[in-house]
Amino acid sequence: MKQFFKQNHKTDNSIRQMLRKRKSPMLITGIVMTSIVLLFVLIGLIVTPYDSEAMDATSKLAGVSWKHLMGCDNFGRDILSRVMKGSATTLFIAMGTVLIGIAFGIVIGAIAGYFGGLADEVLMRMNDAALAFPSILLALVLISLFGTGRYNIILALGIAFVPSFARIVRSEFIKQREMDYIRQAELIGVHPFRIMFVHMLPNSARVLVSSLLIGFNNAVLAEAGLSFLGIGVQPPDASLGRMLSEAQAYLFSRPGYALCVGGTLIFIVLGFSFLGEGISEDAKG
Amino acid sequence: MLLEMKHLNIEFHNRTIPETVVHDLNLAIKEGEMIGIVGESGSGKTMTALAIAGLLPRHGMQKSGEIQFQNTDLLHCDRKKLRSIQGKDITMVFQEPMTSLNPVKKIGWQVEECLRVHTDLTKSERYQKAVTALADVELKEPEKIYHMYPHQLSGGMRQRVMIAAAIVSNPQLLIADEITTALDVTIQAQIVKLLKKINKLQNTAILFISHDLSLVGRICDRVIVMKDGYMVEEGPTDQIYLHAKEEYTKKLIAAIPKCEKIQL
Ligand SMILES: Nc1ncnc2c1ncn2[C@@H]1O[C@H](COP(=O)(O)OP(=O)(O)O)[C@@H](O)[C@H]1O
Ligand SMILES: [Mg+2]
Repeated sequence: MKQFFKQNHKTDNSIRQMLRKRKSPMLITGIVMTSIVLLFVLIGLIVTPYDSEAMDATSKLAGVSWKHLMGCDNFGRDILSRVMKGSATTLFIAMGTVLIGIAFGIVIGAIAGYFGGLADEVLMRMNDAALAFPSILLALVLISLFGTGRYNIILALGIAFVPSFARIVRSEFIKQREMDYIRQAELIGVHPFRIMFVHMLPNSARVLVSSLLIGFNNAVLAEAGLSFLGIGVQPPDASLGRMLSEAQAYLFSRPGYALCVGGTLIFIVLGFSFLGEGISEDAKG
Repeated sequence: MLLEMKHLNIEFHNRTIPETVVHDLNLAIKEGEMIGIVGESGSGKTMTALAIAGLLPRHGMQKSGEIQFQNTDLLHCDRKKLRSIQGKDITMVFQEPMTSLNPVKKIGWQVEECLRVHTDLTKSERYQKAVTALADVELKEPEKIYHMYPHQLSGGMRQRVMIAAAIVSNPQLLIADEITTALDVTIQAQIVKLLKKINKLQNTAILFISHDLSLVGRICDRVIVMKDGYMVEEGPTDQIYLHAKEEYTKKLIAAIPKCEKIQL
């Protein structure tokens, strides 16, 4: 009996089997870096060295010391505490953005990809129109409609991210639509929505996870960009983009400020990039 | 009559010139009958099967004629009606055992899906039926296979699973489209025997599609020969084999390897 159960790695697609396989160095680096980021943010949510909003006039623009590991900003606020809080804000916004983007992206992409025909034409033409704007520009327009503040940013960025997710999901569903197991499901009379979300969606999990991570990175950068331009998170809330724009004024007198904030941003983005790359690399090999 | 197909025409409109792939096809299937369709590849066998199963693409094609099944025209009835017949009364097994099973779902889940959609059976009743169906297709240790994933099974075993999924709801018509083509010769013979057994056991009518005339001859009561979308010849299996009228059919018969003895 045993010899009949042959192992065929090409066709196995589930996340569970993926986790069992040996991991690439890139994936491991990604996992380590993201874990550090998440730990850093989690600790920051519970406790920070100083109150992130407490100003101390005596240590304005103080340099790196044992008392202030990253120094202090122009109001004498501890930068490390603010980076911890700011990272949390940035990650929260990025997460919300990706969730909105992927939720609507899945629904639109699934309907367009699975049904094809007129539904596909209409949805994808609308999608193309939205994609024609750079997503940051689209977000700018939306923010000018909704107003600033963290929830409005999530909404604006989320909407701006929908088209690219919809595109990915659509192409995944088109690939699967002609597969015999989908025809089999159609044949036994499974409702189209059950086919889309129960039969097809789990097969796209891998692609979705890695595009989710890429989207997450773009969202981190987009939030930083918006806050840098002053239309994102409003003071005194900390966010990495906001802090970067504040650090800009002291780029030459206190380069450490910008370096600490920028370094954290780079570390976060790099970690998620490695994770995303590692997962799609693992999926191929 | 279980199923009556009249003047079926299938025409593709997705290229520059419309292409008719099935021409004016008439076909009748009796209850519990084993009927074969043979023909070279591209002769429209799969399109005919998909038309009966209601699986033709929704776009870029035109179909006319009628397919009567239980007083319903499968070609023109609404989707809701079609879904209630599909999978319950008419089921189908495809050619490629490697792609016919969803790679991320357990075997048992896939065999049960049909019951989940069409019946109100409880979880344990569904499990019982699925395991019975897996045993019916002569898979050893069906309880173990129930919990496996497709990639853990060989091609022959997957094809048996597909047959199990197709008979779990006791259908009246099972369409088998080239189900042996991707398999080894020895396994082909086993699968064909299995179909015959299911036909006897459950009195399921089987539409057996193949380009292999010798396989069709082994199990079918009646044969239809197709070429380029046209029906070339139709008749009881032995009559076709011994007294084929058409030149094309004679050529097909002559192409069967000589060493193989046809058992009618
Ligand atoms: N999507 C399609 N678009 C256009 N022509 C098609 C399509 N699918 C199949 N055909 C044509 O239909 C004809 C019959 O195909 P098919 O029924 O699959 O043949 P068989 O199953 O007998 O090998 C072929 O000539 C093929 O080229
Ligand atoms: Mg075919």
